[in-house]
Amino acid sequence: MRDVAVLGVGMYRFGMWDVPNAVMAREAGLAALRDANLSFRDVQAAYVGHIFAPVMSAVRVMKEFGLTGLPVQHVENASATGSAAFREACLQVAAGTYDVVMVLGFDKMTTMIQQSTQGTAPENMEDAILPAAFFALWATRRMYERGMKPEHLAKIAAKNWNNGALNPMAQRQPQEPMTPERVLRSRMVAWPLTTMMSCPMGDGAACAIVGRADLAKRLRPDRPVVRVVASALQTEKYAPGHLFMGPIVGPAQMTIDTAAQAYNEASVGPEDLDLVQVHDAFAIEELEYYELLGLCKPGEAEKCIENGDFELGGRIPVSTDGGLIARGHPGGPTGLAQIWETTLQLRGEAGKRQIEGARIGLCHMMGGGSVCVIHILQRD
Amino acid sequence: MGEKRKIPIKAGYFTIPENASDPPRLLGSRCQRCGEHYFPRRAICAKASCLAEDLVDVELGPQGTLYSFTFVHMPLFGSSNLEHMDGYGVGQIDLPEGPRVQLPLAGRKEDYYIGQPLIAELDKLREEGDADVVIVRFRPVAEGGA
Ligand SMILES: [Zn+2]
Repeated sequence: MRDVAVLGVGMYRFGMWDVPNAVMAREAGLAALRDANLSFRDVQAAYVGHIFAPVMSAVRVMKEFGLTGLPVQHVENASATGSAAFREACLQVAAGTYDVVMVLGFDKMTTMIQQSTQGTAPENMEDAILPAAFFALWATRRMYERGMKPEHLAKIAAKNWNNGALNPMAQRQPQEPMTPERVLRSRMVAWPLTTMMSCPMGDGAACAIVGRADLAKRLRPDRPVVRVVASALQTEKYAPGHLFMGPIVGPAQMTIDTAAQAYNEASVGPEDLDLVQVHDAFAIEELEYYELLGLCKPGEAEKCIENGDFELGGRIPVSTDGGLIARGHPGGPTGLAQIWETTLQLRGEAGKRQIEGARIGLCHMMGGGSVCVIHILQRD
Repeated sequence: MGEKRKIPIKAGYFTIPENASDPPRLLGSRCQRCGEHYFPRRAICAKASCLAEDLVDVELGPQGTLYSFTFVHMPLFGSSNLEHMDGYGVGQIDLPEGPRVQLPLAGRKEDYYIGQPLIAELDKLREEGDADVVIVRFRPVAEGGA
């Protein structure tokens, strides 16, 4: 991925809002344009990430910025929607098609859920298994194979809640420090996962402007250039034990393979990373991704959690903005919220969450258990 | 007091045995080229090294081994029909032919452990006219055999 940079980022705070998608999207987009020192007139194309979208919602929402005739594409890949849209924009800039592209993600999960619960009974075999269950199945197996305890998951979740408290864009911002004990005491969703180990429902928007790296320096000479040095997207490969029916977490190998592709493309290894954002819709995921992304050796996640390796100030901080668990996961914008956080960190603009001297960051998202998207960002 | 007629929630996933005490069988596919088994049925072998189109229908199970399980305590997406007071179980079960399936479990969390032998059974989901709409779930194999 040569010569592609994040020119600007913007967000509409994740939360439960009585605000239309179009308004959240417009606010996030304008924030990103201001951040990039660009006007909408400069945007040559837009990739829009939106889940459960009515027909033409991408084009309709883009009209909020003005009618300039630019090409608009709708990208959808479940939770990895924002990440997949970001990838399309980066590829087009790398290919030389455009110099400045807007990537805009927005969603109202509250509305999505209403739409999808209108049926009162399962209509096919797939409906028999609910999303709450499939990550719990991963957790139960991990307890059996590796001696993981619910306390490890609670420690991850508490870390993310506490990181969220430092992020003004996070949906969950606890007033007092969150403790693993409190996480464990919260309501059981699917044993051993509790509500506070799970991401909340919410609404929000996030935007990234990507463009030619030389533009970044010219537009904002006052700050470091943040380059996109890898963009990898893979779907599942068949392996024994593969699940073909019902919601799944996706085969572990998919994240290993996608990460290998990204590391290779960026010519960096996991030991070079200063911070990482992962798809932590449930705390068990973050634990598994520590190993699958190579942040620690297989079987050592529990020990590293006990050491505090992944906390702010630890060996390799993960989910620095609160992750899906605390920053929130409205769907379309989530992958772009990761880009927002990583970009701010690499510029040294992450406030109380700032990782001293952060130079390389990785963003990882899963979509429907069947798609893995990884981007690596690097400061000049 | 004859049994009501049973109809599957969706055709093509499992059998409904004529004798109500017999377990249902899962309906899958076997690749004639590489021998891999799949559930549910599919038209093309999923292995990148094979991709053969000569799959045949086979019956799988009814027994299997528990790979992982959970009990869910929150009804979501309208599936409250499967909800019990203690939550409802979901298991991943390895079938002897190879495929791993993800289906509901009967009973309570205390009934289960990883590696346990399980057997398929039909579970009534709801009534529809004079018939019961049924789904497949698994339960522990009774002491001393199925
Ligand atoms: Zn085959």
